[in-house]
Amino acid sequence: MQSYEIPVGPLHVSLEEPMYFRISVEGETVTGLEVTAGHVHRGIEYLTTKRNIYQNLALTERVCSLCSNSHPQTYCMALEDIAQIAVPERALYLRAIADEIKRVASHMFNVAILAHIVGFESLFMHVMEAREIMQDTKETVFGNRMDIAANVIGGVKYDISRETSAYILHQLDRLEPILREQIRPIYATNRSITARTKGIGVIGLDHCIDYGLMGPVARGAGHGYDVRLAAPYGIYPQLDFEAVSYPDGDVWSRAMVRLDEALVAISLIRQCLAKLPEGPLSVGPLPHIPAGEAVAKTEAPRGELIYYLKTNGTDTPERLKWRVPSYMNWDVLQVMMDRARISDIPMIVNSIDPCISCTER
Amino acid sequence: MTDTFSLLFAVLIFPGGLFVIALGLALKGVERRAIARLQRRIGPPLAQPVFDMIKLMQKRTLIPDTANALVFLAAPLLAVASMAVAAALIPVPGLYAPDPRLGDLIVLFYLITVPAVALMLAGSSSGSPFGAIGFSREMAIMLAYEGPILLAITAVALHAGAEMGQPIALSLSEIVAWQRAHGAFLLDPWMWPAFVTYLTFIPANLGIVPFDIPEAESEILEGPLVEYSGPPLGLMKLASAMKAVVVLGLGVALFFPAGPEGLAGLVLFALKCLGLVLAVAVLKAAVGRMRIDQAVVFYLKWPEALGLCGLALAIWHA
Repeated sequence: MQSYEIPVGPLHVSLEEPMYFRISVEGETVTGLEVTAGHVHRGIEYLTTKRNIYQNLALTERVCSLCSNSHPQTYCMALEDIAQIAVPERALYLRAIADEIKRVASHMFNVAILAHIVGFESLFMHVMEAREIMQDTKETVFGNRMDIAANVIGGVKYDISRETSAYILHQLDRLEPILREQIRPIYATNRSITARTKGIGVIGLDHCIDYGLMGPVARGAGHGYDVRLAAPYGIYPQLDFEAVSYPDGDVWSRAMVRLDEALVAISLIRQCLAKLPEGPLSVGPLPHIPAGEAVAKTEAPRGELIYYLKTNGTDTPERLKWRVPSYMNWDVLQVMMDRARISDIPMIVNSIDPCISCTER
Repeated sequence: MTDTFSLLFAVLIFPGGLFVIALGLALKGVERRAIARLQRRIGPPLAQPVFDMIKLMQKRTLIPDTANALVFLAAPLLAVASMAVAAALIPVPGLYAPDPRLGDLIVLFYLITVPAVALMLAGSSSGSPFGAIGFSREMAIMLAYEGPILLAITAVALHAGAEMGQPIALSLSEIVAWQRAHGAFLLDPWMWPAFVTYLTFIPANLGIVPFDIPEAESEILEGPLVEYSGPPLGLMKLASAMKAVVVLGLGVALFFPAGPEGLAGLVLFALKCLGLVLAVAVLKAAVGRMRIDQAVVFYLKWPEALGLCGLALAIWHA
């Protein structure tokens, strides 16, 4: 059969961000894939060396929308490492709460889009409606639905009062039953979902190692690497949780990992709120940053996020570089798409939850 | 002269042409609203399909350089024209019986496949790879669903023929008249397999989830329609709205045409179509899309078996 090329992207309805794949197909079967990276270079990494250290906090927050808390948090951790700042314990708890709230919203967004791609619009609406509970929480607690601006160097700049804490718990009580009793069972058992996602885009444990896969993509293939456990930071060593892992390595497993992690994140928020100690929120305004270099890493919703920072004693960083999980994950699309069908392409791309705004920095 | 006039009236005004367009768009509006309510959304106004049509008719037509312009522009006209004639072949029980000179059940069956063929022409002439994929998918699914519906129609024709003392009844108006006198086939258990086969035909023929594979928006960007804009796109959408009335009206005529005479019959006809549309809306809200291979296997297995079963029952009973 003659093979021909179809372009997926740079703008495609089921990809939320501009990315470009040239896909060779024979009939309905994919025979080759070329990932054309760098379609929209943002220049934001370069821009960070033109702004001062404190302005960069706002800039890194805008690297990505769904992991907009992970970026400034990791940036702050690198700065705190250089300046040897000990973040107050209450601030560490508040950072974890902010991060986990964002994680729930991010994972639910991804599984909702999966339902949309399958053409199951009712499920898409249902998950997005449930996700609104988390969006409302963000708006109430932080004053914004996406960029929550929780972090400052040496702490956080928001506080949770007793009232706010009760409100968050109430919101979690609303969301958790929907997630646990409705959404998760639907994804686990509904024929419309399983028939389209099981056995699709399969990778194995050895691919995880070879490609250095991160986050839910690796954990969906049995590689239970989670930075919060493997290289604990912040308050995570004092919290009780386990890495979610599914063995099959298909689209379905990755979706289930995300749903289960959303539930884990809810339990983490509960633990943090229960243990939240009294104390200062940060070490004070605009701490001085000496010359030095540091690497910090956190578990963003999509996987391991690494920040490298070099300072020279002035208020402008000499070099700031981040390595986002999507960068590691999108190469494995070659493996996942091999002999896949055309109808599976958007689903496989969505299953690695690519974040182009982070990657094309 | 009056004959020509009445035929033209049937094709262009009622029940073809204007009437089928109005009913089709109204059903589309209800369907969108019903789905929205099932998904706890407010949904668009009932006249939204009409607004969309007015908007599209005012827009520019873009023809891609790679397209075969003649076929590209002829396909939407072909689809709409075939549906206007097909609608004139559908009896509105109690009010309208199609003129036998326009055609019989066999002609109607062929006309119903024309929009699918037009969609294939559109896909292959647009010069877009997505159109080409939509074309091959439409062809695959059409080959899968045509078999069962043919079996179901044949079963009804044989059964009606046996009841009327003919070898086979190919005139829809006679089938309708017989049912109105002696009871609907829907109430006859012998006809149930054929009826269920007909029901499975609706979503595939109308391109509704889970069988909207040739136009899968999130996979191949509406496939054959991807390059269309303006009036041709409007005509394509119009043809699919008209097709809904034709396909549902065929079901009403074949299985449950009972009802009062005159205008009340027309209202009941519209309500029956509405009932089917609501059922379709529930289906659309309840499932996701299948893959083309899954859908083809599904049709070759279950509706095909049911259709054969219905045909066997009709032959045995006759």
